[in-house]
Amino acid sequence: MKSNNRVNPPRRLADMIYEELFHQVPFNVAVIDRNYNVVEANKNFTEYFGNWKNKKCYAVYKKLKKPCKDCPSVEVFKKGKPIVADAVGVDQHGRKTHYVGHVFPLRIKEGGRVEYALEMTHIVTETDRWQQEYQILFDRVPCYITVIGEDYRIVRANEAFRNNFGEVLGQHCYKVYKRRTTKCPNCPAAKTFRDGRVHHSTQLGMGKRGQDINYAVSTSPLMRGSDNIAHVIEISNDITALRKLEHQVIEAERLGAVGQTVAGLAHSIKNILMGMEGGKYIVSLGLNKNDKEMISEGWEILERNFEKTTSLVKDFLSFSKGRLPQLKMIKPGFLAKEIVDLYKDIAAQSGIELKSEIDKNVKSAPLDPDGIHTCLTNLVSNAIDACLMGKQKGTEVIIKVSEGRDKLIFEVSDNGSGIDYEIKKKIFTTFFTTKGGEGTGLGLLTTRKIVQEHGGKILVDSQIGSGARFRMEFPRKRLMALYKEMK
Amino acid sequence: MRPKVLIIDDEADVIKYLTVVLKSNGFLPYSINSVKDAKAVVEKINPDLICLDIMMPEETGISFYAKLKRDKILKSIPVIIISGVVQAGEFDFRSYLSDSSMPPPEHFLEKPINVEEFIGTINKLIKSGNSSKSGGNA
Repeated sequence: MKSNNRVNPPRRLADMIYEELFHQVPFNVAVIDRNYNVVEANKNFTEYFGNWKNKKCYAVYKKLKKPCKDCPSVEVFKKGKPIVADAVGVDQHGRKTHYVGHVFPLRIKEGGRVEYALEMTHIVTETDRWQQEYQILFDRVPCYITVIGEDYRIVRANEAFRNNFGEVLGQHCYKVYKRRTTKCPNCPAAKTFRDGRVHHSTQLGMGKRGQDINYAVSTSPLMRGSDNIAHVIEISNDITALRKLEHQVIEAERLGAVGQTVAGLAHSIKNILMGMEGGKYIVSLGLNKNDKEMISEGWEILERNFEKTTSLVKDFLSFSKGRLPQLKMIKPGFLAKEIVDLYKDIAAQSGIELKSEIDKNVKSAPLDPDGIHTCLTNLVSNAIDACLMGKQKGTEVIIKVSEGRDKLIFEVSDNGSGIDYEIKKKIFTTFFTTKGGEGTGLGLLTTRKIVQEHGGKILVDSQIGSGARFRMEFPRKRLMALYKEMK
Repeated sequence: MRPKVLIIDDEADVIKYLTVVLKSNGFLPYSINSVKDAKAVVEKINPDLICLDIMMPEETGISFYAKLKRDKILKSIPVIIISGVVQAGEFDFRSYLSDSSMPPPEHFLEKPINVEEFIGTINKLIKSGNSSKSGGNA
């Protein structure tokens, strides 16, 4: 008895385990005999497919009246080996369902024929839907998506990407994106592989027809748990059209400036001609009247205006020098300090304090040092003149350098005479000067030209009597794009 | 009595030129090189016509023109704008006037001037100004 007692409990335990496993296993389990009868099924199966007793498997799984053409159990009965198959069935509520079935052969005698098929089905309807959604999203989202491995080979690419770059699986991303034979410098994916973080950058690639494609890319790590990053997902937006538009705007601004420059030149010449006409008229009148004093006066006017012509031509030639900005990575604050050092003594002699205020956060930027030097010199020189014109005490000129939203900002402000509204409107559009015979009016136009060549713009803010503030703004993205183009 | 013409221009050479032209054509020229205090000068001289430049330091000819035309007495003085900019083409004078009801200047001359046209215009404007004044008094 004792020995029997020792043997029985394990057997009962095994039964209990089997029973529990059979019903609790997260699959729909059913046993089918060779005549398609469902002879046993677990709770999950019953809850999902409904009553199965005295029913054929095809009636339970698919609500059919005759066996399925591709019945996996028949295959198992025939070959005696387990198989895995996908199928579409109908649940007990009549809803279409996708499932994956693992079918195993059951034999009564070892080595005998297969008497039953054990079918374990896993419902994948939701997973299948998610997969479809994901696939649609992956392919149809209006941006390029690629998944690249540690060897920089593309393992997946979405439809948008394939349409523009061709069939690319297995190829190196740098070859596909840029027709390069080596990795790109500053590769954002390499950074993500290194630090596991998301990185962003803008790049210039080449499409399958050899066309330029500008894209803004972000790279994210793909990893399971704390494993190493095996893949990086690259999501890029095609910004080619945007870039073209940006170039068109800059070009339009440049052409506009050319037109205004010509108009401005004509204006300056007309003023000089007026002086010459005047001189000629007075000389001629003096000759008629035999008035030596008048002749001398007229001659002086003629001479003065000849000098003005020479000076205008020189300035114009220097202005029209068609040179691209020679960009160098420099500290913008350094340029401001340089100008202050150069002109502070001259300013001080007129009782004007010239100083700089440089924001600590200002980073290095690709600028043409000579060009920006000219701009700051022009603005500071104008500001000093405005202070002198205002004839106020305690006047100052400040050069500020700061970082705006994605842009580098230089500001030259003074508390001098300020600029009348009408002047403000004309200030950059003609060879406008408020300095009478002293200036040629090219300073601000030259400044604007240099600023525009850097992809920036210049703004003026002033009220009469309360000083003026000239602000040069350089979008960092444009500076970097120019810098890359120049390289 | 010779008609009085006030020249307002910051260019000394222009003032000299116009002064000589006006004098030799029977006018009595006055000149100032900025519009600062120009209103007081106009009130004092009471010119028959004003020759006005646009671009001048401190205050432009446009703002002075607006002041003049807002004055009940001085607004009847005819104004010739003499400037290096081409009106309507690159410079639309009226667009700079904040008050759209303000009349445009009586005449606009481009630098360099044609002396005959200049004198002819002045004579015509002063004549019509006088006749409208006398008409108004009648």
